[in-house]
Amino acid sequence: MKKLIFTITLLALIVVPALAKKENKITIAGSTTVLPIAQATAEVFMDKNPEINISVRGGGSSVGIASIIAGTVDIGDASRHIKSKELVQAREKGIDPYENVIANDAIAIILHKDNPINGLTLEQIKDIYTGKIQNWKEVDGPNMPIVIISRDVSSGTFEVFNTKVLSGATGASGSLMLASNNAVATTVKDTPGAIGYAGLGYVTDKIKAIEVNGIFPSKQTVQNKKYPIARTLHMYTNGTPKGIVKDYIDFILSSEGQELIEEQGFISVK
Amino acid sequence: MKKAFLIVILTIVAFGILNAETKLKMELWNRWTYKMVDGDVEKNELALKRGYFRIEPKFSENIKGRFNVDFFSDEDGLDGAGLKIKYAYLDFNNLLPIKDAKLTVGLMKTYFGTIYDWDYTVIDKDPSDKYKFVSSTDYGFGVFGYFPKGYGTYALAVYNGEGYKKTGGDINKDLNYAANLRFTPVPGVTIGGSYMFKSKYDSQIEDETARGDMVDNPDREEYNLIAGVGKFAYGPVSLLAQYLNKVKSKPNMDDYDDVTTTVMSFMPVFKVNNKFDIVGRYDMYDPNTDEDDDGYNIIIAGFNYHIMRDSKNKPKLFIQTNYEIKQYEHEDSEDESEILIQLRWIFSETINKGK
Repeated sequence: MKKLIFTITLLALIVVPALAKKENKITIAGSTTVLPIAQATAEVFMDKNPEINISVRGGGSSVGIASIIAGTVDIGDASRHIKSKELVQAREKGIDPYENVIANDAIAIILHKDNPINGLTLEQIKDIYTGKIQNWKEVDGPNMPIVIISRDVSSGTFEVFNTKVLSGATGASGSLMLASNNAVATTVKDTPGAIGYAGLGYVTDKIKAIEVNGIFPSKQTVQNKKYPIARTLHMYTNGTPKGIVKDYIDFILSSEGQELIEEQGFISVK
Repeated sequence: MKKAFLIVILTIVAFGILNAETKLKMELWNRWTYKMVDGDVEKNELALKRGYFRIEPKFSENIKGRFNVDFFSDEDGLDGAGLKIKYAYLDFNNLLPIKDAKLTVGLMKTYFGTIYDWDYTVIDKDPSDKYKFVSSTDYGFGVFGYFPKGYGTYALAVYNGEGYKKTGGDINKDLNYAANLRFTPVPGVTIGGSYMFKSKYDSQIEDETARGDMVDNPDREEYNLIAGVGKFAYGPVSLLAQYLNKVKSKPNMDDYDDVTTTVMSFMPVFKVNNKFDIVGRYDMYDPNTDEDDDGYNIIIAGFNYHIMRDSKNKPKLFIQTNYEIKQYEHEDSEDESEILIQLRWIFSETINKGK
């Protein structure tokens, strides 16, 4: 009898905490592009709802989606759509990934601010990133080697750039692969011959965003779908959002939340 | 077919490592096994039961490869170690005019039952592997794809038919044919099925008593294999159920009775938290349904303790503990019990990123 009581108590000690529902906490992980949106909106949402705690971390879109599949976060941020393989994995595990579109974005092509180039075509950008064009003079720029800055492969920004610009072509050897939008922007700022790409929210006056196919990345050109490297930004949840996660996402989609998104340099979905 | 495949794949992979984004992965299983039969200790060993080194070059967005060398403790091997090539294949995406489908060529996964995505939640092998229905990898080619909106997967493949272990000229030359489907109509409910046709020995041979005449080969063997799979997942609880059926026939032998082998397997898992899983498994194996008391049941209970996971929450370092009982149907056979404790660690890194 004592053994039975001991066994039941032990099981209860293990199982009950695992089943206990966490209250008033939202965990978010994923895309570094979406990270500033999540941070800015979480701060304001927590100010308005002091009883709620939101923890936000990056890691990349792949990490965000993997975390939703593993059930270790409430929200998985991604700057790309979920892949077929990920969707099947999720559904087999009883997870139903729901895509909440929270913002629009452009992937801006960025150069050092002293570079006189003001625009490139998609073909020229592809040729640069595949190594066919190696010097700025080949695109009517200064005689200066091109330093290619790219994103790591787990990044959603990389996936979108790869699809929309490289069309699956192999990148040039010697490209510098960096782990975040911020790292790309900083490296481009400090490297005169550099070319990089980052979410519009990371474009500052210390670097230079250029036209692509004659179109400058802006709210207007993204919303009228003229800018060729545009995308939507997502927060994935398991099923339609519920409870405090729904309250938080509703806040992001409210006019106040969308204003915060625009303050971060991204584009409203409204 | 095997040698030609292997040479081509190895050459491409070696070239690829130098020139393409390549994922390197290594996994090691250090296991202590303590086996008892009828109260006597039959095995008490500590061994590297399996380790592998994997190279996955990505030649382009549409062409990827996988090359896998397995190594393991082996008393009969050189200096106590064994070595085998487990995977050597190339995936071609977008080559076929079907969305989300890939063509695979080489020493590749066998798309049957759950053997191709078995992740050793318990230490023991996948049922199709354990009960010798199919080999986990084989030389061949096939198409694998995803249904839209995450509704499942499909695969069609043709295999050499001898698995990855046998080499040399004296191997079966009959091809195997496999079809596999998995549907997930709603999240958490997956149903699937596989069919494989295998054969051995030529259907016709030259008659030794008559000049050049071809006659039916009485040794000809044909196998029809079926797997039914059900997976259920809800919150921290999941259950994998599998039914396997194999019918062996000798179509050119009139007095041969077909042999039907069946397996039922159930594997419940309770994920207590991100660190701790409670696992179980129950198998019923019947090697010949026409005979009594020739099978056995297996009961496994244990847990997995995850010490570390990677950024995508995949296991990186964890301990598996299983207690396994084998109960024979025949009353003269003694039950066997085993305690297995295994430390698994996984290392992976991608080089030449974005190349």
